[in-house]
Amino acid sequence: MADRPRASVKVEERLARMLAVVPYLIQHPGTTLDDASRLFAIPVAQLRRDLEQLFLAGLPPYGPGDLIDVDIDEDGGIWIAMADHFARPLRLTRQEALAVYVRATELAATPGIPGAPALTAALAKLRDALGPDSLGEATGIAGAEPGTPPPSLDAVRAASASHDRLRITYVAQSTGERTERVVEPEAVFASAGHWYAAVWDVEVDDERLLRIDRIASVEPTGERFSPRGLRGAGRPLYTPSDRDVDVRVRLCPAARWIAEYYLARDVTEHPDGSLEVTLPTAATRWIARLLLRLGPDAEVLDPVSVREEIVAEAQAALARYGPRRA
Amino acid sequence: MEPLERLLNLVGLLLEAPTPLTFEQIRETLEAYQGDNLDSVKRKFERDKDMLRAYGVPLEMIGTDVWDVEQGYTIRKERYYLPDIAFTPEEITALYLAAQSGSGTTDALSGVRKLIYGVDGGVLTGSAGGPLAMESDTDQDRLMAAASAASERHAVRFGYRTAQGATSDRTVDAFGVVFRSGRWYLVGHDREREAIRAFRLSRVTTDLSDAGPGAEPPAGFAAIEHVESAPWDAAGLPVAHVAFTAEAAVLAEGNISGTTRDHVRDDGWVVLAVPTADPATLGPLILQYGPEAEVLDPPALRDDVIARLEAVAGG
Repeated sequence: MADRPRASVKVEERLARMLAVVPYLIQHPGTTLDDASRLFAIPVAQLRRDLEQLFLAGLPPYGPGDLIDVDIDEDGGIWIAMADHFARPLRLTRQEALAVYVRATELAATPGIPGAPALTAALAKLRDALGPDSLGEATGIAGAEPGTPPPSLDAVRAASASHDRLRITYVAQSTGERTERVVEPEAVFASAGHWYAAVWDVEVDDERLLRIDRIASVEPTGERFSPRGLRGAGRPLYTPSDRDVDVRVRLCPAARWIAEYYLARDVTEHPDGSLEVTLPTAATRWIARLLLRLGPDAEVLDPVSVREEIVAEAQAALARYGPRRA
Repeated sequence: MEPLERLLNLVGLLLEAPTPLTFEQIRETLEAYQGDNLDSVKRKFERDKDMLRAYGVPLEMIGTDVWDVEQGYTIRKERYYLPDIAFTPEEITALYLAAQSGSGTTDALSGVRKLIYGVDGGVLTGSAGGPLAMESDTDQDRLMAAASAASERHAVRFGYRTAQGATSDRTVDAFGVVFRSGRWYLVGHDREREAIRAFRLSRVTTDLSDAGPGAEPPAGFAAIEHVESAPWDAAGLPVAHVAFTAEAAVLAEGNISGTTRDHVRDDGWVVLAVPTADPATLGPLILQYGPEAEVLDPPALRDDVIARLEAVAGG
C-alpha cells in the first residue's frame, strides 16, 4: 500500500500506543478489549485494528511460526504470544517522564488528595529508576506541604462519585449569608489552591459553582440523582449574572493582585502602574469590604454610593471595639 | 503492507539482532524495504528511522566491527526497555490518576501508560472514582518548558510582570519549579539582578526561550525555600485570636490557611486562632470581614485594626 502523507501522524500515534499496550497485554493475559480500551483510551474498534496489524508482525525469518500470535476470545479477552521482545515497554521520553513527574508533584502538594502518600512514594521510585537519563535533575521539581483540606471535601467528593443528593449549608462570600440548599454535586475539582464543586441547586433549579471550604455543613438526603453532565475543571470560576452590578475601581500597584485574583473586566493601565478595572458583583457589600481591606491602595470610581458603603462598614466595625470609639 | 506493521517489524528486528545490521541486511530481511527503486526505499527507511527516534526509540548507527569500516543500525536493549520499577498498586493508581488530572497533558498520559504494564491489575478498579480534576492558572507549555530547563540545568529568557505591574525581560539560570498553594513558580538565578528569585509562571508574559546551558545551583540549594509562603502559612507562628460571626468564620477558615477553631462564644460568635508572622499583613485581611470580625489579641493587632478603621470612618 502506498504511503499517504497524512497517514504519518496517525501511524506514529498508533505505534506509540502499541508499544505501551502490548507489554500490558502480555503481562496481563486475558485482559478484555473493554478494559484495555478504557485504560489506554483507545476506541475498541481501533484497538482491534491495531492488534490485527500486530498479528502480521514478528521476528525473522517471518515464517508462520515466527509471527506474533494474537487471539481475541469470545469474551473479548486478549491473548498475545510470540512477542517476548515487546513484553516490556519502551522507556519514557524526557517529555513524558517530566510531565508525569510534574503532574504527580502538583497533585501530591494539593490538600485533600487521598493518594498523596502513595504519590510521594511513587515520585521517589520514578527518580531512582529513571535517573538523570530520562528525568534530568528532578530534585528541583518540588511541591510545598499541602496544608489542611476543607472539612466537607471528602463528603462532597464521595457524594459526587455515588450521585448522592446532599443537604448543605453554604456561606456566600458576596452576601456573607448562610443558606440551606439541596444540591447534586456533579464535578469536584481543585483550581489555584481551592476546591470547587459544580452542583445542580435543586430549589433554584439551576447550576451553581460552590467553593467547598464555604460549605459549613453536609448531610445526605438519602436520594440519588442522575448527572446532567455539568462541567468541572476548566470552567470559568465566576458565572456572570444579569443581576450583577459593575463596580469600577482604581487599583494602585500594590493592589494590582486584585485584577489577577478576581474576575476583572475592561482593564486599563495608567502610566504610574495603577489599573482601572470593572469588578462585576452580585452584592456591593462584598466589594465595599474588599476596598476597606485595601485602604489607600484602591479607590471606587463608580458607583460612588459604594464609597459611602465603605465608610458605613468601617463605622459598624469600629463599634465592635467599644463605645469610646463610637 | 501497512506502515504500523513495517515499524513494529523494524523495531523487533533491531532489538533482537545480535549485531548491528546494515541497511542492506535490513532490506534482505524486511520485505517492506525490498522495492526496485533504491532511492525511494532508502527515503522510506530514513523517514521510519526519524519517526522512531522522534518517539524515543534509541535507534543508533554504529560501526559493525571494531574498525568502523561499515555502519549498521541497532537498538540496544538496555537503552530501549523501561527499567524495572516496583510500584505498588496504590502507587501506580495514584500516578495514573495524577496523569489524567491536569489539562492538556498528553505526554503525562502516554508516559504513565508505559508505567502500568507490570502492575498487579486493579488500576481500573482503584481509579474508579475518576480523575481528580486539577486546574491551574499556569500555561501548560510554559510549565513544561520551565520544568525541562530546570531538569537540564539550562537558562531561559522570558518576559515577566511583577505583582506591582512592572514588565521586563529576564534571563534566568533555571534551578527548579515549585508548586505552592495552587500555583507554579520557576526558581533560578536572575542574571541581571544577580540573585536567586522565584517567578510565578502565571505572570510570565512570553514563551520561555532556551538560553543555553545555565549555572549550577549553590550547594545544598532547595528551590522550595525560595518560594514565599503566605505570611500566615509557616509553622510555629504566634497566633492572633479573632472573633467572627458564624458565617464569617466559615469564610475566614477557607481564606486564611492554618486557622483553627478556638471556641464558640455564648453569643454564637466563633473565636479563631489565626497564625500570623506580621500583624501589618493580617490587619487588612481582618478588615475584609467588616463588622463581622473583632480582633481580641494581641493588643498590637487590635490597635492596628482600630487605627485602619478610624482612618476610613473619619473617626
